[in-house]
Amino acid sequence: MNATDFAFDPALYGLPTRAQLRDLRIWDLHYHGFNNATDLAPHERMMIYADRFGIERVVALDVGGSRNDPLASSPFEAVQRQVLDEQSDRVSGMIRIEPTNPEGSCRKMEEWIRRGPCVGIKYAGYNEAGITCSHPNNDPIIRLARELGAIVYIHTWMKVGGQPRLPGGGNLAGESTPADVVELAARFPDVPLICGHSGGDGELGARAVRKRKNVYFEFSGSYPHSGAVDHAGRELGAERIVWGGHGPTRSYATELSKVLDADLTDAQRRLIFGGNARRLAEKIFARKGYPMSPKR
Amino acid sequence: MNRRRFLLQTLGTAALISTTQAAQSDRRPLVTRSGEAPTLVDTNVHLFSWPFRRLKYERTADLVAKLQRHRVGEAWAGSFEALLAKDVNGANARLAEECRKHPGFLVPIGSVNPAWPDWEEDLRRCHEVHRMRGIRLYPRYQAFPLNDPAFARLLHLAAERGLLVQIALELEDPRVHHPVLQLPLSDFAAFAAVVKSVPQVHVQLLDCTINLQLPVAQPLFNLPNVTFDISNFESVGILDRLLNEAGGARRAPLAIERLLFGSHAPYFPVEAALLRLFESQLTREQLGPIMAGNARRLLPSA
Repeated sequence: MNATDFAFDPALYGLPTRAQLRDLRIWDLHYHGFNNATDLAPHERMMIYADRFGIERVVALDVGGSRNDPLASSPFEAVQRQVLDEQSDRVSGMIRIEPTNPEGSCRKMEEWIRRGPCVGIKYAGYNEAGITCSHPNNDPIIRLARELGAIVYIHTWMKVGGQPRLPGGGNLAGESTPADVVELAARFPDVPLICGHSGGDGELGARAVRKRKNVYFEFSGSYPHSGAVDHAGRELGAERIVWGGHGPTRSYATELSKVLDADLTDAQRRLIFGGNARRLAEKIFARKGYPMSPKR
Repeated sequence: MNRRRFLLQTLGTAALISTTQAAQSDRRPLVTRSGEAPTLVDTNVHLFSWPFRRLKYERTADLVAKLQRHRVGEAWAGSFEALLAKDVNGANARLAEECRKHPGFLVPIGSVNPAWPDWEEDLRRCHEVHRMRGIRLYPRYQAFPLNDPAFARLLHLAAERGLLVQIALELEDPRVHHPVLQLPLSDFAAFAAVVKSVPQVHVQLLDCTINLQLPVAQPLFNLPNVTFDISNFESVGILDRLLNEAGGARRAPLAIERLLFGSHAPYFPVEAALLRLFESQLTREQLGPIMAGNARRLLPSA
């Protein structure tokens, strides 16, 4: 049996076949195959599973630096550059920025996006200084992202906790909420911002961002709540939802199910699985000469 | 919208769409015929309303239709009412009545809360009145400690009656609980010790999360009378790793007999657990027991 063969026909179980999944042109905007990696084994293992479900492109969020120190250089960077070059038809890269250090973040963006292979920036879920994405520190970062046409992905959660106990009260220092994204989006209404993880709670997250049209919504990393994508579709519209896999810590099964569970038209499903992401990536892909379609 | 139109608008109906353009472009032959593909036993569904959110498939008829569209032939159903009910028998009676509307498909799994007075009578009624073959416990919601002697006694009595005991570990991500909800953590070490002391009871853990990867959960993997549903085992290729590798809390690969299909529908999409079966590179010999064989062994068809 080949690595992409299934022992039983998925269609018999009311699931899309691999061919149908490929036809959907799925872009994974939340790929952690490089996270804390020192070699390519995790990436290579992940791509086996991405292939099984016909995922067209993965966008790695952990390029350059390390999770604990995004602005430092790491010995793995040369390998990452090689992958992004050799697999540019399947793998894209985003760099983590550090809002406590906007100057350093912009230098990294110049190196990795303007002069390098990457296509966007990722806000992580923690920093010691407690600087979220709504802080004025972020303005030069977003201005540069706008100039470069870079994709902006912001980790958001609303972890319940604190005193009084409320959603968001349990967040880590520097961990943004959807409300932070909305505040940033108001200052940059012409810059699309991805509110990652739907704030962890799609019902509250969609409420928070629904009025700010340049905020996109992505569901990865949370439990698969049946009906959550239906709800977001009603509140935001399918054209504001993008898809991420969050592997390897979340399974592709979990993340695909969130969209497959939803009552969507074929056109809406295609927007969520990849169409919207391609719209966000169009400018920077054109600038870098990256293909928008895979080699078949 | 009629049923066919609805189905055609949802990708879950891929079975109905045999010749899409994409399918035509994939020339590899299908590897199975429908007669060879097992129907599933879903060991983890719930009926009625989740207290904190309206669920898409909370109406029983909708849930049954959804499960059947995904080739589920039997579903073991608990009741969301049991999480917070003081009249547990009332909840069990309503569950049994609802399941009788779908004979041969919904198998009622009642509940008992050993923190409530005279819970032994609820257990008796589950078995003798409602003819249930298993019970489902929610220690975090029902607020009984896993090292409570009443819990051990419950396992003993369930074993004497030949009842399967399902234990739902975590129904919802605690990070998104309603703020009024503050549930105690599961004490895996205490739990393992109690279950080990009652080796004749069959225990199935539901909604197993990443916490089961912690070293403290290791003893649970070593107990042959404990099985697991796959609904909340997370990470890419998790079934490959569970069945083929040691790791986390496990010192050895898990035997295939220990895993059962469970969807945690209607809270989770049925597709999540189903796709998990296809994500990993499992053979038919591995899939058959997970899809149905192991469940049949635990609860033979009535």
